[in-house]
Order: sequence, then C-alpha cells, then structure tokens
Amino acid sequence: MKQFNEEESKYAASAKAFRANVTRDLGNEELRSNFRGAMDYLMAKRKDAFSSEDELEVLREQCKLIKQRCLAKLPHLLEQLEDKLETNGIKVHWAETITEANEIIAQLIAQKKGKTVVKGKSMVSEETALNDYLEERNVECLESDMGEYIVQLAKQHPSHIIMPAIHQNKQQVAKLFADNIDGFEYSTDVDTLIQQGRTILRDKFCQADVGISGVNFAVAETGTLCLVENEGNGRMCTTIPDLHIAITGIEKVVEHLSDVPPLLSLLTRSATGQAISTYFNMINSPRKEGEKDGPKEVHLVLLDNGRSQAFADEELRQTLQCIRCGACMNHCPVYTRIGGHAYGTVYPGPIGKIISPHMLGLDATSNLPTASTLCGACGEVCPVKIPIPKILLRLREESVKPKSDKPQVMQGQGAGRSNVEALIWKVWALVHKSPTLYALSMWGVTRFRFLMPKKLGGWTSVRTAPKPAAKTLHERLKSKQEKRAKQAKQSTNTASR
Amino acid sequence: MQQVNTQHLRNYPKKPKQVYLFGTCIVDSFFPDSGMDAIELLEREGIEVIYPQGQSCCGQPAYNSGYKEEAKAVALVQVKQFPLDIPVVVISGSCGGMMRHHYLDLLGDSVGDLVGNNAEITNFCQRVFEFTEFLVHVLRLKPIDQGPKERVALHTSCAARREMGVHITGNKLISQLANVELVLHDYESECCGFGGTFAVKHADISAAMVADKSKNLVASDVVRYVSADHGCMMNINGALDYQKESLRGEHIASYLLKRIKGTSAKASL
Amino acid sequence: MTNKSADINAISSKARGNILAKLKAEVSGADYDKLPEEIPYIYPEFSHEENLAQFISELEKNHAQVIQTTKEGIAEVISAELAALNITTLLCGEKCYGGNDVHRDVINGLDSNIELQPYDFSIDNNKELLFNECPAALSSSRCSIAATGTIVLWPDENEPRSLSLVPPVHFVIVDANKLHADFARLMAAEQWHDKLPTNVVLISGPSKTADIQQTLAYGAHGPKALIVLLLNS
Repeated sequence: MKQFNEEESKYAASAKAFRANVTRDLGNEELRSNFRGAMDYLMAKRKDAFSSEDELEVLREQCKLIKQRCLAKLPHLLEQLEDKLETNGIKVHWAETITEANEIIAQLIAQKKGKTVVKGKSMVSEETALNDYLEERNVECLESDMGEYIVQLAKQHPSHIIMPAIHQNKQQVAKLFADNIDGFEYSTDVDTLIQQGRTILRDKFCQADVGISGVNFAVAETGTLCLVENEGNGRMCTTIPDLHIAITGIEKVVEHLSDVPPLLSLLTRSATGQAISTYFNMINSPRKEGEKDGPKEVHLVLLDNGRSQAFADEELRQTLQCIRCGACMNHCPVYTRIGGHAYGTVYPGPIGKIISPHMLGLDATSNLPTASTLCGACGEVCPVKIPIPKILLRLREESVKPKSDKPQVMQGQGAGRSNVEALIWKVWALVHKSPTLYALSMWGVTRFRFLMPKKLGGWTSVRTAPKPAAKTLHERLKSKQEKRAKQAKQSTNTASR
Repeated sequence: MQQVNTQHLRNYPKKPKQVYLFGTCIVDSFFPDSGMDAIELLEREGIEVIYPQGQSCCGQPAYNSGYKEEAKAVALVQVKQFPLDIPVVVISGSCGGMMRHHYLDLLGDSVGDLVGNNAEITNFCQRVFEFTEFLVHVLRLKPIDQGPKERVALHTSCAARREMGVHITGNKLISQLANVELVLHDYESECCGFGGTFAVKHADISAAMVADKSKNLVASDVVRYVSADHGCMMNINGALDYQKESLRGEHIASYLLKRIKGTSAKASL
Repeated sequence: MTNKSADINAISSKARGNILAKLKAEVSGADYDKLPEEIPYIYPEFSHEENLAQFISELEKNHAQVIQTTKEGIAEVISAELAALNITTLLCGEKCYGGNDVHRDVINGLDSNIELQPYDFSIDNNKELLFNECPAALSSSRCSIAATGTIVLWPDENEPRSLSLVPPVHFVIVDANKLHADFARLMAAEQWHDKLPTNVVLISGPSKTADIQQTLAYGAHGPKALIVLLLNS
C-alpha cells in the first residue's frame, strides 16, 4: 500500500480533530445561520432548474452510465487523452502523490522563471495544498475566483467545493476587505466588494507569468480540457499568462465529446440551478502560430492520490463518478449544521466523507463515515447516482474490520475498531438471534425498567431518557393469544355439551 | 425523486386473510401500545394477524454500524420466523426498508445451515410491506373519521421516505380524515437527527438536528404530530419532553385507530 | 518536502507506469460491448420562432442585453450604446471570425467620434493596453444555442480569445439563422469532434458571481455588460 501518511496535507491532522471542530462550529450561531441561508438558497435554485422529474431521472441515469463507462475504460481513456493532448501540443504529466504533483508544477514554473501565479478555482490544487508548496519556493500564488480570493485573504480554506466562501456573510467580507486592503472603506454593498476584488485581480492577471486551473471534463477523443465557470477568472488564467498548467484527478476523463453536453447540463443545474454557466471554456492547444493570444505552453497534471485505491473495488469505484457539483452537501442536514470546515478535509460533506478516506487513509478519517444519519438526501440528489449512503455503510464496515495481514481494500482499514464496541455487537447478535435469550433480556429490561438511568450520555443532554414499557409486545400478544385459545376451548366445550 | 422507492412499480396483492406483523425491537420494548393498535386496526378490517414470537430485530443497528456479520446472523433468524407466503407488515418504515431492500444484499450470498437460498430471501423481501403502504395499497383503507377537528403534522423517517415512500402513503391516510387538517411544517423532509448509533456517536450534531426539527414542529401549531417510525419519535418526543413542550408524536396506527373509533387520541412517549 | 528536486520527467514516467498498471489490473478482460445502453432524454422539437424566443429569454434572464437589428443597423446601434455608456474607443478584429470582412461596413458606419482600436497586436507586450485602454469590444460569433441562451465563439487570429474577455463591454453579433436547439444537437450537426480550434468558448451572459452571500453581482472579472446584436432577417 501507498505511504499516504508521509504525504498528508495539513488537513489530515485536523481530520482527527473532527469532534473538536464540530463542537466549535455548532456553537457559532453566525456560521450556522450563514450555512442555513446558503443551503436554502442552493436547494431552491436546484429545485427550480428541473422542469420535469422525468427529464431529471432520465438525465441522471444517462450520466451515471456515461461516467461508469468512462471509468470502466479509464486506463485506456487516460492513454488516449495523453496521446491526443500531446498531438495537440499539450504536455501531460502524471503524479501518484500530492508531493509529486506539486513538485512537477513547481519545476514547470521554475523552468519559465515564473514568479507570479494566478489560479482559477481548482479543488485538486487544494487537495495538494499547492499554494503553500509554491509560497515556500517564493512563488506568489493568488486565487482569482472571488470566493477563493476571500478565503485566501482570510487565511482560511474553502468550506464548500463550488462556493468557497459560503461560510462568510457580507459583513464579514466587508470587514475582511477593510482590514486587509489599503484604501478600502468598509462597505457591505456586494457590488462594491466585487468591484474591489475585480480591480485588484485584473492587475494580477495582467502581471502573472503563470495561470493554474482545474479541469471539469477532459475529453479523450479530442484532447480537450473543459472548464465551467461564471466569473471569467478561469478564462483569464488560461488565456492571459504565457504558461497554463491544469491539474486534475484521473477520474475526470470522459470518452467522447458527445458525453459532455448531458454532464454539463446536470452539473450546472445540480450545483447552482443554472441552465448553463456563464462560460464554458474548451481548451485544445497552446497558442498556434499566428494567433495573437493564449498561453504559449499548456500542461496537464494528472493526479492519483488514492483514486486508484477506490477504483480497485467495484462498489467504492462509484465514488469516482463524482462531477463535483456540491448538491450532496447542499442537501445534507449534517453539513448544513456543522459547515464545511469542521470536516477537516479538503472535500467536505457527503462526497468528502466517501472520497477523503482514499486520500488520507481511514485512520485519519474514520470519524467521517459515522457522522451521518444515512438519511439518503445526498444519494437522492446526486446527478450521477452515487449511492453515497451505501458507500458510507461500506466504509463503516472497512473501518471496524479487524486488522489482518490479508491485502487491504483500504489504507487504514480497521482504524475505527474498538474492542468494547465489537464485543457489544457480538453480545447483541447473540441475544437477538436466539428467541429465548431475546425474551429473557426483554423481560429483564421491562421488569427492571425502574433501573433505567435518567442520564444516557449525549442522548439526555437534550432529551429525556425513554422508558421501557411494563410489558413487551411479545408478552402482551402471548397472553392475548392464550386468552383467545382459552375462550375458543371454552366455547367448543360449551358447544359440545 | 425517490432513490429506491419502488411503490409505483410494485404489484400489490389482493387483500389477504392473514398477515404477519413484524413489531420491531423498539416497539416491543418501549411502545407496545402502538403494536397493539396496529393489530387492532388490521383486525377491524377482517385480517388475522400472526405475530411470530421468535422475532426480535431487523438487524439494522448492527448493519448501520458496519457489523455486517452480526447483522446477518440476526437477519437470517428473522427470515425464518415468517415462512408462510403471506405479507409481512412492518410497523416502522426504516425497518421495513431494511428488510425489503437490504436483506438480499446482506443475506443473498450467504451459505450455511440456517441459510435459505436467494429465492427464499427474495420471496421474503417481496412480502415485506411498510404499515401505511399496506393500508393504502393492499387494504385500500378509507378511514371514516369520527374524531374532533384538529391540526396535525406528519413526520416521515428518512429511510422510510426514500426507500418505502411513506411520505406519500402517510399523507394519503391522514388526508382522508375529514376533520383533520394536515399541516406541512418547515423543513418537513429534513432528517430529525436520530440515525441510530449516530445519535450517540455524534450526539452534538444529532442534538442540533433534533432541536431544529422539534422547533419546526412546535412552530407549525399542531396538537400532535404523527409518524410511522418510533425511532424518530423517541428522538423528537424525548427532545420535546426535555424542552417541556406539550407537543408529542404518535404512531400513525394509534392515531388512525382513535380517529376511526372516535376516542380522543392520547400522545404516546 | 524533497530537498533535491527529482527530474519531473522521471517522476511522471514512474507515476504513469504505476497508475496505469494498477488501473489496468482492474479492467483486464472487461467486455466493453456489454456496457448498458445509455438512453438520452429526448427533448421536444421547437420551431425556429420558439427557439429564438427561448434564446432571447434565457440571455435576458442572465442579464445580457439583446437588441434585434439588421446588418445595416448594427453601426447605429453600437454608436448609440457607446454614446449612452460614454465610451469612445472600440476594440475589434481587423477581420471577423473566419477571416470574413463583414465588419468593414459596421466599422465604416460608426459615429465619427468613436475611435477604433484594431486587435492587430500580439498580447505579449500589450497587456496594459488591452486591460486599461479598451473599454469595449466588438466580436462576431460562430453560432448559438437556444435552450440555454448561449453564444458560441471560436476565437482565431482575427478575433483572439481575449477580445471577448478583457474589455468591460462586449458587443457580439449573432446571426439568428445559425441558432441550434441545444448543445448536444449543435455538436452533432457541426461534427465538432473532427475540428476543434485552439479554444472554443460558450458565453451565456456577462461575467457574474454569487460568491458573497449568494448575492449576484455582475462584472466579476470578464465583461460587465454583454450586448447581443441579433440579426434576424
């Protein structure tokens, strides 16, 4: 197995602190209300975006099958993509770990003596903690998506995969700008705030040597890198600087160009309820001879970082169908309560719970799969029908499996196992599979109900303890049946007399 | 937008003479009244209810905690308690979902002396009906309301909603009660935060969720809320009691029975 | 952190080998003919008028300004809009997309106080000019999509990528006769998989963001205004 541990980003450490994070963020009323408001907004937008349930369901099924086909052919499509991109003049690099990816990017920048990087939104670059890696090498790395820019200015991380600054309200952003931007006068007018960001960032686009972006779909058939965005910063990063480096996970490849329209349609509608994003940018090559703009060099970095581990298991492979729309978190009652930072992982919410264990190992993330009621809202809205609740169950199973020498499905398997808990379930099974033992234990629970403690840990911190009944349903029905049998007997006796 | 709810695809049988009742472990030890009421309601419709004494728990608690082997052992025993080819009516949506949708996955490939074959498991799964589903689609119950005018809310457990479509059948049953106004509370479809061991393992998140759920139910200004799942109700009623709110939830079987009989419904906790 | 930088080609080639080997081990023997059929949603057919109405309505919903005019009327419309915006400089290609010269009439017909800035330079040493001295731009388009209110641009040496991106106001000429029902049908009809240029961009409104408290703001980085000159003959 891979040595993820050496390469954990700083997020991993905080994944262990999940409980502390949850306590901290649940207690933050402003944060709670920011998330509730944002989730209500995004859920309503999505709901309005689908005119008919029929269309939605046909599209979801189609897109699920598209992604499953592309995954079934993944190694071949990656080779085809590489081949096509290189023919088009785009250089392809491969990285198994986040450090490898960062090193490749750092060296590509160094080769061009790059000093200033502007970044379009890329969750994969968050995954690799690229900004820190580059800053340590004296390369200035500026986020240009408005949400990412705010988050970077606040020295935070994104709390949502498509709306990074969703945890802040406009008053907080106004204060942030007033505190950090020379000459900015506190204003909560969103237009004013955005125009301030625009002014600063346009200067940077003009100056930057390097643009870094993510990729939404990489088309194998044509060697096309597709980017979905509303702001235009993605186009800026991929058009204005001399060097463009795109980074993406290996699961983002699709086979045909014709796979793109249905996926795009579901992506934008599921994410923000938009029929389409303002810009859909399809990059096929660097600047050609005679063209007046565009980067002179384009590179693509393909990152594994645990994805091949998920790929190796048929059930877990479905995790890789994800097109990163964020609908699962928008509809998640847990995410709505605790917000994105509490997870301590780059990808928060339901998708984060099922993808992070492959990136960081179950040892650093075993708390995540259990932090769900399995209510199923995520699976219900997922545009590519990832059975998230089922995968959560599977991860719980892997997490409590006894450690063994056999080949592991997952790094960190068994990390969540406690001997006490395992014993409790053994006893539970023993009791519940034996009608006699079950009857006996229920008799005990009901007869000694006065012994039921008034305090039951976390349960009674906000609830009263439930009280067992005086007699179980089993007993009441048994006596009912006996009574009936007796009556029947009596009536036959009477009749025969 | 149900993920696995297959109500609309299901072929419902004609009204049977006999059914099994699966009472669930929570009803057995905490809320036997609801079980008794469900049986009375079915018997009023002329159905004989068989309650196998060997039943215990559907296995969901262990299954949801990742202890698949333990869940399997318990689930197998349940299947064996219901051998006759008659419906198995389950008075909790989430247990019903477990038995109808997850047993084949859990038990299908198992081998050993206790084990049936896939056909037996499949047959069992197909005989499982959630209580309100059974009332609406098999009995086609048209309850005659004899109770006083009142406003109630309906809370549906998430698993029951998404796997068994209980929000549709529950809604249909309550809507047929002439004197009852069904009130939709805010965030009606949102989870109450129970989630079995989740409520213990992540007690603070669960607490935040049930605080919102109980607040929204209270704000809906109803005299009671009705649910087909005692797991959720143990959670929500426990919170309401702790908050010294008078609102309580009642199992839909008890509520329907009292409306039909015209006796005033009492809240159960 | 690595102290000594390994050669990135060596890193990449080792990673490539490992990743592909792992993935291939999992799919060996897979029968791709047995993959389930993917059934697309069949959208209803609409008349050209209906498609046009949808196109306009989607664009306007997304805060674009749509002005129906004729080839002869373009110059007048642009002149009026620029006057209203108090702009006197217009950036535009020497020729329009594909090398056609149809811009000539437009350019000749503009108000005399409008200064034309031809995009006849390489961006390399002219970023300041492009970012700071070009308040508005005019471009043509290849075709458009009704369902989503989308304009398709295939930038080339005549109309570079940044023409439609950097200036704060973007005028775009759209021919109503080149309207397709949806993206999928457009790709199929034009056989895109055979001939993609350096860059294709689909534009469905002015630049926008809702990143601050879900409040929509226009002109985040790209054009603040998208003015569509719709030729409907």
